[in-house]
Amino acid sequence: MSTTTAGGTANADGAAPLDGATVEVIRNYLVSVGEQMRRTLVRAAFNPVIYEVLDFGISIYDGDLELMAEAAGITSFLGANDHAIVKGVEYVGKENLAPGDVYLLNYPYWSGAHSYDAMLFSPVFRDGRDEPAAYLAVRAHWMDLGAKSPGYVLDSTDMHQEGLIFPGTRIVHQGEVVRDIVELIRFNSRLPDLTIGDFHAQLAALRTGENRLAQVWDKFGGEVVDQAVKQIIEHGERVARKAVAALPDGTWTAFDYCDDDGITDDLIRMEVKVTIDGDRMEVDFNGSDGAVLGPVNLPIGATESLAKSTFKELTTPDEPSNAGHYRALTIKADPGNFFHAVYPSATFTQWSGIVAFELIHKALSGVLDSIPASSGGDEPGFMALGHDPRTGEDFVISNNEGIGWGAGRDRDGANAQQHPSQSVVRNTPIEVLEHKSTIFHERLELIPDSGGAGRYRGGVGVLREVRYLAEGEVLSMKKKSKTRPWALNGGLEPEPSGMTLWPGTDREKRVGMYRATMRADDRFVNRTAGGGGYGDPLDRDAAAVVADVMDGYVTVEAAEREYGLIVAPDGSHHETPARAERRRTQPPADRHDT
Amino acid sequence: MTSSHRTRLAVDIGGTFVDAIAYDEVTGELRLHKAPTTPDAPAQGVLDAVGGLADRLDDVEAFVHGTTLGLNAILQRRGADVGIITNAGFRDLLEIARANVPGQYMYDFAYAPPPPLVPRRHRTGVPGRIDAQGAEVEPLDEDAVREAGRVLVEEHGLRSVAICFLHSYAEPAHERRAAQILREAYPDVSISVSTDISREYREYERTSTATLDAYIRPVLSDYIGALEERLGDAGLAHPLHIMRSGGGAMTAELARSAPLMTVLSGPAGGVVGASFLARELGRDVISFDVGGTSVDCCVIEGGSPGEVHEAAIDGFPMLIPIFDIRTVGAGGGSIAWMDHGLLKVGPQSAGAVPGPVAYGAGGTEPTVTDVALVLGYLDPAAFLGGDMSIDANAARAAVAEKLAGPLGVDVTRAAASVLRVLLARTVGALREITVERALDPREFALLAFGGAGPLLGPMLAREMGITETIVPQVPAAFSAFGMLMSDLEYEFATTVLKPLSDGTLAELEPAFADLENQGEEVLSLQGVKPEDRTLVRRLDVRYRGQEHTLGIDLRPGDDAAAILERFHELHRARYGHAMPDGGQILTLRVRAVGVLPKPGLRTLSGSGTGTPEPVGSRPAFDVATGDTVTFPVYERASLAPGHAVPGPAIVEEGTSTTVIFSDQRLTVDVHGHLLVSSPETAQ
Repeated sequence: MSTTTAGGTANADGAAPLDGATVEVIRNYLVSVGEQMRRTLVRAAFNPVIYEVLDFGISIYDGDLELMAEAAGITSFLGANDHAIVKGVEYVGKENLAPGDVYLLNYPYWSGAHSYDAMLFSPVFRDGRDEPAAYLAVRAHWMDLGAKSPGYVLDSTDMHQEGLIFPGTRIVHQGEVVRDIVELIRFNSRLPDLTIGDFHAQLAALRTGENRLAQVWDKFGGEVVDQAVKQIIEHGERVARKAVAALPDGTWTAFDYCDDDGITDDLIRMEVKVTIDGDRMEVDFNGSDGAVLGPVNLPIGATESLAKSTFKELTTPDEPSNAGHYRALTIKADPGNFFHAVYPSATFTQWSGIVAFELIHKALSGVLDSIPASSGGDEPGFMALGHDPRTGEDFVISNNEGIGWGAGRDRDGANAQQHPSQSVVRNTPIEVLEHKSTIFHERLELIPDSGGAGRYRGGVGVLREVRYLAEGEVLSMKKKSKTRPWALNGGLEPEPSGMTLWPGTDREKRVGMYRATMRADDRFVNRTAGGGGYGDPLDRDAAAVVADVMDGYVTVEAAEREYGLIVAPDGSHHETPARAERRRTQPPADRHDT
Repeated sequence: MTSSHRTRLAVDIGGTFVDAIAYDEVTGELRLHKAPTTPDAPAQGVLDAVGGLADRLDDVEAFVHGTTLGLNAILQRRGADVGIITNAGFRDLLEIARANVPGQYMYDFAYAPPPPLVPRRHRTGVPGRIDAQGAEVEPLDEDAVREAGRVLVEEHGLRSVAICFLHSYAEPAHERRAAQILREAYPDVSISVSTDISREYREYERTSTATLDAYIRPVLSDYIGALEERLGDAGLAHPLHIMRSGGGAMTAELARSAPLMTVLSGPAGGVVGASFLARELGRDVISFDVGGTSVDCCVIEGGSPGEVHEAAIDGFPMLIPIFDIRTVGAGGGSIAWMDHGLLKVGPQSAGAVPGPVAYGAGGTEPTVTDVALVLGYLDPAAFLGGDMSIDANAARAAVAEKLAGPLGVDVTRAAASVLRVLLARTVGALREITVERALDPREFALLAFGGAGPLLGPMLAREMGITETIVPQVPAAFSAFGMLMSDLEYEFATTVLKPLSDGTLAELEPAFADLENQGEEVLSLQGVKPEDRTLVRRLDVRYRGQEHTLGIDLRPGDDAAAILERFHELHRARYGHAMPDGGQILTLRVRAVGVLPKPGLRTLSGSGTGTPEPVGSRPAFDVATGDTVTFPVYERASLAPGHAVPGPAIVEEGTSTTVIFSDQRLTVDVHGHLLVSSPETAQ
């Protein structure tokens, strides 16, 4: 199965090519339309998963459903709507689309996301033509659509436990909101006000997009804009292909593990085979395990997004996305594979996509020395649910936690930074969490020795200790707690992430993805993984080891054990026999040490 | 300067030049003098610039100064070595930060942030804890504070310490006590307390705020002390005022105790000046400030510029009030280049060295300045008042080779395209600011200033369907002019997080009164008479569950229903919908203004009728027709109120050039502003 790039040429009217300045001017206007939609959504949104976690994707398509411009909320939502818009238009039927209509789609196998990610899309008409000249799509995470458990679903076994499904349902008809549909949502949601508030924020973003797109057409002329879009996409393709052509040719395979599916304890093997051939790249996930019972299966749309993200990093990281950027990329995953969920596979907990995010990197790490070791490999956050006796209200809060990033060929990894698949998301301030819930923080610190040791050290992870002031629930969110993130060239692998419930009591328990009831005074400790190390730790510059010890990123014990350096409190140091031996055998030209 | 004149002075330090501007309160004359920036002894540059306007400062009624010293100390990492004292178990808050990667690095999977300003070994925690309701959960361990001070000051030798505790916005007692202990033990060490600067929630942002304050405090304190002394020697009898980032000024004494408020004062001057003109002229304006590497825009509606309450330098956040200025990273020095067939402008800049190709200093890539020469907008012979030799042919050759050839168009069209691309990005930025406020930019006038603002302003106005562009007097030094028009201002805020109800309003009355008392106190310390003080109360309100707030100014007699109604209205106007919900108050704010005596906008005595005589003419590119035509050239000094000039035309003054196209028309208003009107266009 390859990426869908709907066929047909952008223009049948054979307009003359535009000069590269006019195209660039129009490109700027189109990118700005997406940006204005994004601002409208973020400013009007009600739930923090949109305005803080940036769980949204905004896309503008031409009349042939080719991506003209987009404003992704987070990295891995790149092209998130590309698969969905094709499926949605196909389901509704192009001939049934009318001006002022808006459709709602969250059927996961089409939307490429779980059921709470609701995509609204609208056709935009021009010049009285009866076919849309463009389409707008705004996808955003809704707080509740009536799935089997409140907050987040960790153990569904088919789609029907994951909430109300809309396959492309008309929710606005010729400019009027269809009350019946909105009421259906209201009566099926545990958090109807937030959900409907966010629906209106998405509508506002669509309206902004429609107005601004019409202005661009008025200003330049619709056909000129169509021609410019054609050239913008050709340009995207040219730049991306050139970047791929500069990469070495060959085929490389890598695999990694996702913890389990939430139902059994079995590791899930995820494999990718990457082939670069001239100016084309193919990523093939078919070597991976098949579909699993629990909710970690990935719809093909999600698989495409994660593959596109790494492809973009390698080819056009600084350019706003368009369809041309991905024409050199082919993505393969057969229906029924872990990476291509089909009805009725459960898909709610797509943490598996986060764990799979660096797989393509891993496959290419042997041949591209710019690739760093693995990050902590997961988004190991948590959610807390409960009832606040002080306000008499229920709460649901969440926090994305930083991890260490992998070390590279010439530098240490970053400390405590969000996973690369959603690096722009911010953690939630303690002062906000404690205001909105009944949790109380005892500690939030970096973890010494958590970064994978190496000539360049992986970044360190974070420890958070929380006490519940009243009864509630905690959801530990992580799918890479059983296997270590990978290192490179003799660097060491860090400890994986994990949560310890009820530490220091006879109930103490280490968990990965898990839901637990907490009583007043119960505590949890959440630990996030550091990044993988790069190169032999015995080759690390002595001054860097000493500085790490002085700052407490590395303990005195680890300095001796892993780096072969015995560091005194005043910073003076001497080496162990192992390090001395390494120095004797290692050619000095490749060393930074003294 | 003779003693019969009363003069107001403003001095603005930029990257390469110090601008000093003198306003004669009797004649209304504005005079400008530029001197080179002296990074190693910044006070010297200020004195050099002032020295070009006056030998003695005895007649100076007001002296306002905008300084980038704090900003540069942060950008160049030349601030103090700082220690941090926070809660035990939380010493890494500054480094964990919000754990996010800046948006522009979204697809960089090897990103690493700049190292924290304070290394881990200089961050320490002490027992003691306040909860979210402001209640003490654990008392402050005072011995631990003393020990932390001993380690930071005596062992590590630090001279500046920042203190920030969790939930101190709700109850600052622990922070205040810790500061008191340290000040007693180490009277010479500079102490920055988070809640002295901001009473808003979010611990990382508040810690970062206190840390930045501690980082620049010693540097700024020394500088202001030195400057005050030397200005005093030169005869300055009135207090030195320092520009704030969020508009208004404060006394030098207050600036030394709140240095962070000065860090982004440079662009603030332009916005204050634009707001002043907007009020005087009764227009809503968009300020358009074009410098060498950036375009800064701000929307000024009803005479008030947009404001935000958080800013960042190099990714380090600060909870300080600041104007909502949006920046496009391209200006006069930006390089135009071909990217696989598409024309791009910036983000690379030729800077001062090598500079544009036309400077002949080794630059080989065509810049925005080069294309302005090629298009005939700038006169090579009179560049920067004739102080600089310019090679227009080299600029033309570079545009021909690097741009026109690959684009397949002639040199003129290639050059014009560079400006179109630059302006397309600016249009995007302006639409993004206005969409957030549900405003239509066509209802605004464009106020163009900065070195290249008047050159690009009328062109941008045509592009956006804005019908009027205003070019103020001495546009290249308009930021300094704005500083002349500043009042003393200060803002006090506190996070509350309460439902909007009459009960809450009554409950918050003491908190509001407390903020007002702080405002009164600060104004009184700065010598403002009671009749010149204004205090404005404002609530930041949102729907429960929403993150973003809207600011609602309070009116006498407001109850919760009236406030909620205005909030619903504003929300509907901004976002197209309102919710049937109640509101939540996030923050109380009080803005304290001490009105300074300052001149109104003077009406000029001179008058002109008809069209004045041009001093020359030259061929230049007319974007209205797409042809190169003859542009009559006028000297600004020869234009008087009442003059009208049909486009095309070029108006020159020492450091700026205004370009008017054939479908535009220039008039001069009674204050001497150039008004460029464009035809209305559907957009």
